[in-house]
Order: sequence, then C-alpha cells, then structure tokens
Amino acid sequence: MKRIYYLLVPLLCALCACSGSDADSKDMEKPVISSDGIVANPIECQVYHRGESIPFQYLFTDNVELGYYNIEIHNNFNHHTHSGSAIECPLEPAKKAGSKAWVYNQDFKIPAGLREYVATTDIPIPSDAETGDYHFMVRLTDAASSQAVFAVAIKVVE
Amino acid sequence: MAAAVMMCAVSDTTVTLHDITVSGNARRNFQLRTSQSAVLVDRDYLQQHFSGSLMQTLEGIPGVKAMTIGSGQSKPVIRGLGFNRMVVSEDGVKHEGQQWGDDHGLEIDQFSIDRAEILKGPAALLYGSDAIGGVLNLYANQVPMEPLKGSVRLFGRSNNEQLGLSAKLGGRHGHFFYRLHGTFIDYSDYRVPTDSIQYYSYWIRLKNQRLRNTAGRERDGSLMLGYAGYRFHTDLRITDSYSRSGFFANAHGLEVRLSDIDYDSSRRDIDLPYQWVNHLKAISHSSLSLGEVVLEANLAYQHNRREEHSEPVGHGYMPDPSGTLERRFDKSTATARFVLRYETGRHAMQAGFSGEFQHNRRRGWGFILPAFESYDAGIYAMDRYTLRENLTLNAGLRYDHARTHIRSYRDWYATPVGADSVYVQRSSDMHRRFNSVTWSAGINYAQGPWMLKANAGKSFRVPIAKELGVDGINYHIFRYERGNAELDPEQSYQLDASIGYSCGRVEFTVEPFVNYFPNYIYLSPTPRYVEGLQYYHYTQARVLRYGAEAEFTWHFLPHWQARLQGDYLYARQRSGEKKGYTLPFSTPWSSEAEVRYSFVFHGEGYAALNAHVVGRQDEIVPPEMPTDGYWTLNFSAGKHFPLRSTTFSVAFHADNLLNRRYYDHTSYYRLIDVPEPGRNFSLMLGLDF
Repeated sequence: MKRIYYLLVPLLCALCACSGSDADSKDMEKPVISSDGIVANPIECQVYHRGESIPFQYLFTDNVELGYYNIEIHNNFNHHTHSGSAIECPLEPAKKAGSKAWVYNQDFKIPAGLREYVATTDIPIPSDAETGDYHFMVRLTDAASSQAVFAVAIKVVE
Repeated sequence: MAAAVMMCAVSDTTVTLHDITVSGNARRNFQLRTSQSAVLVDRDYLQQHFSGSLMQTLEGIPGVKAMTIGSGQSKPVIRGLGFNRMVVSEDGVKHEGQQWGDDHGLEIDQFSIDRAEILKGPAALLYGSDAIGGVLNLYANQVPMEPLKGSVRLFGRSNNEQLGLSAKLGGRHGHFFYRLHGTFIDYSDYRVPTDSIQYYSYWIRLKNQRLRNTAGRERDGSLMLGYAGYRFHTDLRITDSYSRSGFFANAHGLEVRLSDIDYDSSRRDIDLPYQWVNHLKAISHSSLSLGEVVLEANLAYQHNRREEHSEPVGHGYMPDPSGTLERRFDKSTATARFVLRYETGRHAMQAGFSGEFQHNRRRGWGFILPAFESYDAGIYAMDRYTLRENLTLNAGLRYDHARTHIRSYRDWYATPVGADSVYVQRSSDMHRRFNSVTWSAGINYAQGPWMLKANAGKSFRVPIAKELGVDGINYHIFRYERGNAELDPEQSYQLDASIGYSCGRVEFTVEPFVNYFPNYIYLSPTPRYVEGLQYYHYTQARVLRYGAEAEFTWHFLPHWQARLQGDYLYARQRSGEKKGYTLPFSTPWSSEAEVRYSFVFHGEGYAALNAHVVGRQDEIVPPEMPTDGYWTLNFSAGKHFPLRSTTFSVAFHADNLLNRRYYDHTSYYRLIDVPEPGRNFSLMLGLDF
C-alpha cells in the first residue's frame, strides 16, 4: 500500500514544480483606432470626387507598441454591411461591379517603439474609377500581433 | 486495511467505466497490457452516446475533445493535440486524409466501428510519425461467429433535421466469413442560438438562426471477406466513405462577400461554396501462428480525394477564374506493416517493420498545399517483461527514415512587380530527409484495488508539406501563411502516469502528464500585413505542456451512479518570438458531473442527467481572443427490448437543453463568431438480429 504513495508523492510534486512563476510580460490588449484630438478622415458617409485624394488621418494607440496598418477600399455596390457603423448612410441602388470598380490595398509600417501615432497618407482616387458606394477599411496591429479593424462607408461621385 | 485490500483483489466484480460494462478482470488485464493511459470503448458505449459524429460521441472521455467543424463533422483532439499530432487508425492502419486542414473531418463511418481504443500519450513506437498526443484506434474487423447476423439503425437529429440509416450484415460459414455495411445520412443547415454574427467587422444576419449552407450528406459502404482458421487468419476489407457538405456561405472564400445565390430559399440544398470528399480504403490483414511465434502482415491502400468549390471571384491580381474548382487534393497512400511476435515465459517480444508511401497532387485556382511525395520506413522492437503477476515492465526502440519531395508551384496568373509582371512562385522544388530515433519505457503495477502505471516516451513528427512549403492566403481564416523549408522533425518527450483505484462502490482514476517539445512547429502570428492580410509564418519553439485528467465514480445506491470528471491542460512557449505565450487553441479546463440510473426490466435500460462545465480561456496568443466559459445540461436515456431472438433498442439524447449560446475555444468556427449548435434532440432506433 505504502509503496504506491512513495511513487505518487514525487509525481505530484513534479507537476507542481512546473507551475512556477509565469512572470513573462505578455501584451494581450488590442491597439485602438480613434479620432481623439485630431480631424479624422475619412468619416462615415463622406463623399469624394473622382480624381481627387482622400486625406487619410487617424490616431493609433497601443498600451505597449504599435505594429503595422493596412488600408483597403472595396466597393459596396451589393450593399453588404460591416459592424460598428452606427450611422446608416443613404445608398445608391444596388448594382454589379464593372471592370473599373476601384480597389485599393496598401500595407504600411509604423516606426518602431511608438505607443501613439497619427497616421496620415493621401490616397488618390483614379479619375476613371466607377462611381458609387465604397467601404474604407483600416486594419491595425500592435507589436504582439493583436489586431483592430475599423470600417466607414464612403461615396465616390463624378 | 489488509483485509479490505484482499477483498477487493479477489472479487471479480462487474464495474462500469462510463457505461462500458466489462468484467473487473478483463478490464484489469487490458490495463495491465499497456503502461499508457488507455481507454477501451465498446459498441454499447458508441450506441448510447451516439452524436452527430464519431468524435462527438467519444467526447465524454476525459482528455478527448472534438473540434467541431460544422454539423456533420469534427476533428479529434487528445490532450490538446490534434491535426497531425495524433494518429487515427482503422484496423491497425493509419488513416491518411488531409488531416492538416481546419475544416476537414474524419472520413470514417462511425456506424461500422465495433470498438475503439484511445491511447493518451506518445505512441511512436508502434505508429511512427505523428503519434505525439495519442492514438485513436478504431476497429471494424470483428469476426462474426454465427451464419447470419445483422443490425439496422435508424436515427435522427432535430437541430439539423438529420436523418440516417445504417445496416450491417455478417456471417460465418465454416472458416470463411463476410461482413457488409452501409450508411446513408442527410442533414440540413444547422441552427445556432443567435440571429447574427460578426466576422472581420462584417455584420451577417442569419435567417431563422440557421447557419446558411451547412447542409450535407454522407454515404458509406464496406465489404469484408475473410478466412479464420486455427493457425492462419486473413481478411480483406474495402470501405468507401463519401461526404458532401456546404461551407458556411458568408465566411469562406477570398473575401467576405454577398452572393447572388439565394441561400435562404432551401435549408437542405448544398450551394457554393461546398466540399466533397471520397475516401477509399482497402486493408488486408493476415496472421500466422506457429506456436510461440506469430507473424502478422498488414497491407493497405488508401485514396483520398477532396474538392472544394467556390464561386469564381478574382482577388487582388488574380482575375476571375474559370470554373468553381478552388482546390482539389488527390492523395494516395500505400502502407505495409510486418510484425513478428514471440511470447515465451515472462517475455512478450515484438519486432516490426513498417513502410509508407504517399503521393499527393493538387489542382484548382486556390493554392495552399503543394504537391508532394513522401516515403517513410521504420523498424522497431519492444519487450514486455512480467516480473510478477502484478508487475510488468516494458521498453522499446524505433528508428524511422523519411523523405519528402515537394513540387514547385507558380501562380497561374501574373502579378506586376515594378515594370514586369511575373508568375509568383508559391512553393519551390524541395527534397528533405529526416531521421528519428524514438523510444518508450513503462511500468505497470497492480496491488489490491490499486493500479499504477507510468510511462516515459519520445515521439516525433515529420513536418508536413504545408509547413515546409506553403506560401499563400488561407481562405478559411483570412490570413497569409508562409512555410519554412528549414524545419526539423518535431520531437516530443512525455512522462505519463495513471493511478487507478477500484473497490466496492468507489472507483477513481487520476492521469497526470508532463510533455516537453524542444522544437514544436508553430504557425506564429506577426504584426505584418501581406496583401492586406495578417502574415503568419512557421517557426519552431520550445514548448512545455502538462495537465491531468481525473474521474471519480460512486455507486451510491443499487442502480444509481454518480460520476465526476475533469481535465486541465497548461501550455507555454519557452523560446522564440512568442516566448511566454501559450499555444493557439489551448484547451480550457472542463468538468462533467453525471447522475445515472440503470435498471433491468425485460432488457437493460438507463437514464442519465449530465452537466458539462468548461472554464474561461484567457490563455491566448494574439490576435486570438479569450473565450468565455459555459455550461450545458444534457439528458440521455435508452432501453433494450429483447424480442425472441432479436433485440430492439431505443436511445434518446437531448444536448444543450437550455439552448445556451456558447463558443468552443478549440473550434475554428469561434474565429468567425459562430457559436456552437443550439438545443438538439436525437433519437436512434435499432434492431439486432
């Protein structure tokens, strides 16, 4: 009988020894995309003309370190919706995308070591882009790979 | 104390191990044969716990999880390790499908299975590569003892309006025997307790809480012919398993999009995107007994064909493809295994050779896995030494040599790079060779009501083609994945123990383990973007894991039984980019409490109420998100009715009675905000003759 306990006790101790300190610093918090203290662009339901530029500007913050961001613009001719949009923008009639439907997809690196960064970039709209409803998406990571996603609806007109 | 010990040791009581009724000695003998944590599951258990898929049926076993991937299918996970880190074998032959895929289920008919055996812990000695987390052994090769025997099962599930029919027939005439089996299943879109889901910031509404386009169907058949003599046994079993099921329409493909397909017009049809898989298997098993020496030969051929179809939509620089074939995998596997057993006095020795050849080809406009060929050859020897009737020792050694040849792949469309346009290379031609030495040693000790086992072992896994050669978008998870041609074979060391006690009304088992990987192959997330998607790459890191399962059963009154079980798992990366973090999809702790009433009144019957509790999982690797804990209430009841020479049986199941909305941290559906299925009732009617 006792022999069993002789074997049991060291085994349980071995298990407990493994659950020691886990003091490694881990960043589990997501970065934040906001418009605090700046004039953010673009905002919900904004209208742009073909051939002009979208002066993108948003504030990125993180508790430890920011990583990269991506801007992607795709058409919303089929009226799909994204969460997080509080406002319903008036939409053009639904249609099928033509060959000149505008697609923009660009990755950007944020300088290392920053917790706060005001991202600005001018995005030119091609002069032959198909007019209609578009979605403007911003994706942001922190150095620990957490991701925040942000979307607004915009309109491209003649 | 001594008297009590004697009493328990002598009595050959019938005990119930989660409803698996076996005589005390038979179970003891099974447990004495292996120094690993092992669970034996018989056909009765499989029937009583019948669920949507084989793995969901086995999920009641501590340490075993089913990663659900839609209503009809799920993947096995043993102690937090799944995919290519565990082995599923059928009649002793490793099942080879596309087990690396997140939404690829098991292509095995659960109704053809006679019994299952679950080994927790390293089993490389007998199974070679991949048997790190454990092995799920399925057996469908029982030799019929009567001239004609058969059964018919009719079953249904309410949640996805599933209907199924399965029939078995078998017989023996002299030394010759045969078995026939067929199963047909049809199900509609399944229901989840939510009206909308959010994924990748998209807002997707569901009609009538149904996950659109998750309907499917399955048909399986098998034929077995054999000869069972006194010294010589041989059988050939051919099985074919086909399934076709839809992918949840709003979260599959190159991007989240709305389609012109009217998915909500019918909940039983299968629209694009969908997958179909056909798995054909031929297994030949022969054994020749020459007194103390037994020779065995297993030869098998498997062909797995999988196609995934989607609406042809261009993405980035890829123009609209022609046709709907997004991916096709054609995989052939030939396996041979020869074993020599020699039992004399106190020694039970075994030596064997196994060889495997795989040939994998791909087609379709979506690239994720390169074409490859691989060869593996292994030799092993082991001995079980019975020191005393209640004390056995075992040890074994194995050597494996594996080769992989990965074929190069270039995009079928051109991508502009500067002023040029190039066909981007997604995978390069690559030859790799791997060698591995693995071993295992263990001890079994029984004393009165106690059973003690301890096992130490090393196991390994050859990197798969996807880990070595992938370079592209994973359409299921919306991320960019890149392989690493320099990966070494993954190695794992594990120490297991099992402490069991069974006496009178009480029995319990505690099974702790410690597991260390010097070079766990890991798909590490990075903050970078490629083509607008987060970039993940394969690396290797030191990983420490440990955990335990425990089970306690108390027969508190005649006919009544209470059972409490739980499992816990810890994992930590000890090196690399994500040092200090756990592993993605870490299994949270879980616990189950059950009260069961069994009776005999013109046949056996039972009723059971069960509460399943799962803890919150905060142990994550960003961008993974924590998952809340949950609990579900479940009820089951069943009864056998003997009718002359036949038996009629009924089994009823009610899962998630309170229709709780919850997420399974280990399911990839959690990533797309799809909760687990809502309330479900299932009923099975059976006739055995």
